[in-house]
Amino acid sequence: MAELSDIANETIREEIEEYVERPEEIERSVELFARARPLMQDIAAAIIEGDDDEVDELTRKALAEDIDALEVMDDGLIAGMGIVGIKFREAFIFVPEVLSCARAMKAGMAHIEPILSASGVEPIGTVIMGTVKGDLHDIGKNLCIMMLRGAGFVVVDLGVDTSEDEFIDAVEEHGAPILGMSALLTTTMPNMGKTIEAFIDADLREDVKILVGGAPVTQEFADDMGADGYGKDALACVALAKDMAAEARA
Amino acid sequence: MKLSGTDVDFIIIGENVHTTRVLLKRGKRFLADGDREGVTYNTVDGEPKLLTIPEDAKRGQDYEEGRIKHVKIAVQGAMKGEGAGAEDGMAYIRQLVHNQELAGAAFLDVNVDEISIKLEDQKAAMAWLVKTVQSMTDLPVSVDSSNIEVIEVGLEACDKDRAAPMLNSASLERIDALDLAVRHNARVVVTAAGESGMPDSDGPRVENASRMVDLAMEKGIPAGDLYVDPLIFPISVDGAFGQHSLDAIRAIREKYGPEIHITGGMSNVSFGIPARKIINDVFLILAVEAGADSGIVDPVQSRPDEVFKVDRASASYQLAEDVLMGRDKHCKAYIKAWRKKMLEPLAPAA
Repeated sequence: MAELSDIANETIREEIEEYVERPEEIERSVELFARARPLMQDIAAAIIEGDDDEVDELTRKALAEDIDALEVMDDGLIAGMGIVGIKFREAFIFVPEVLSCARAMKAGMAHIEPILSASGVEPIGTVIMGTVKGDLHDIGKNLCIMMLRGAGFVVVDLGVDTSEDEFIDAVEEHGAPILGMSALLTTTMPNMGKTIEAFIDADLREDVKILVGGAPVTQEFADDMGADGYGKDALACVALAKDMAAEARA
Repeated sequence: MKLSGTDVDFIIIGENVHTTRVLLKRGKRFLADGDREGVTYNTVDGEPKLLTIPEDAKRGQDYEEGRIKHVKIAVQGAMKGEGAGAEDGMAYIRQLVHNQELAGAAFLDVNVDEISIKLEDQKAAMAWLVKTVQSMTDLPVSVDSSNIEVIEVGLEACDKDRAAPMLNSASLERIDALDLAVRHNARVVVTAAGESGMPDSDGPRVENASRMVDLAMEKGIPAGDLYVDPLIFPISVDGAFGQHSLDAIRAIREKYGPEIHITGGMSNVSFGIPARKIINDVFLILAVEAGADSGIVDPVQSRPDEVFKVDRASASYQLAEDVLMGRDKHCKAYIKAWRKKMLEPLAPAA
């Protein structure tokens, strides 16, 4: 079993020691970083620090050294965001900081994406996102989109006031395995359920995983409506989307 | 209320009677001793009490994750009409009303959107809560919902013999609400929301709000009954959001003169960053200086009457102002100061 001292990068060691508290997460993080090359650890550290210039430079360096793009993405960028997610969940860091990290992630993904798509490797997945019919609130949804893009997803943003048909058309057009819906009002929240029913009526429900979120939404409500998942914040949304993308690929 | 050190007569729309309000289990007011779990409070007579969390509320996800919807619990308990929960709930609502009145609220905003997802339940709760609040104070009520039918029920429950109520809110996506305001002789919050989306800078805010103001005046609502909400978004998401709202406030004040009121949900600005009170206080000062004369605020926490006395030369004030003016990229300096425990509550100048 790997130990903390097996990790070359000092920042990563300190971050794990200081902020990761759950035993299974400590174990997973230590295993992951201990087997990652030092350069991947450096990229992850730059992500955690929200340093987009550094991520940009190190990602280019890694690719120039012929390190596989997928490895850079998984062991560098995504591994770094994993720590960021834990720190946000535990209230060690705040929204503006998470957004800087997401921007840094984007700087790295800008180099990775073209390589992946040229070699026919799918990105992690495509997510259709929109605020439901009758609801014009989009700050929470936009935060989710920034974080999803930061995590390597391709996101199609349908904006606000999105009808059932617009959701269905977008899922079909992009062959997206994941749909995320947001609602900020108790008045518009039931439109999530109506959209899910519309997918059933269109015989498309089996083809897509549906995630819901927004201030008044709860796990109970998500379950009642027949959603596949509920995210209480932007990072929970990313974690869910990752699980579902993995499921869709399996 | 007169804001000290200014000549602004500030109109507080107290936002504490909202079923959306949350207290944290890790906060000071949560108490768990033996078999009782609840939120501590003092009755209007100064007696310390506990709002007990009922078993069904404990099973909810909010509660499991540490968030207590205390006002929702109080309203649901009080609406039952009898039993310990009812008495507790009623006493809890009474102190919410009383403390806001003491803090200078001119209107009490009432919102039951999260009481239930069923429209019928929301309507019943709104009618009940408006009547209940009116039985506890002479202040007029501000009827707040995302559903116009719920607003209508609330306005119908308003006592016609007291000062005119507030309708919160009308906007381009909900122009009908203006007719409702006319029918009930209500004052009205008009927001800068667009027909098909939220404004992304100051220009669209002014444009949307102006259309609403002009429409309202055409329908005979006097300027003095209009409360323009330019929409205030979290500075944590975009450093320009503070200035979008402040610039819109300035432009609307310039365009419509002194009679119209300018308000807004001031504490939205600090969502997502620590030490929110400092940011909220400084934003309130900046908003008033830009031309706002009202706020939809928690007057017990934010104490608008005290805010203008603070020492603006203090490091904490300056750091918060930098955040709000978009000068502190990603709120970096502010959060750093918070981490180093260098941020201090704003205090009056020596």
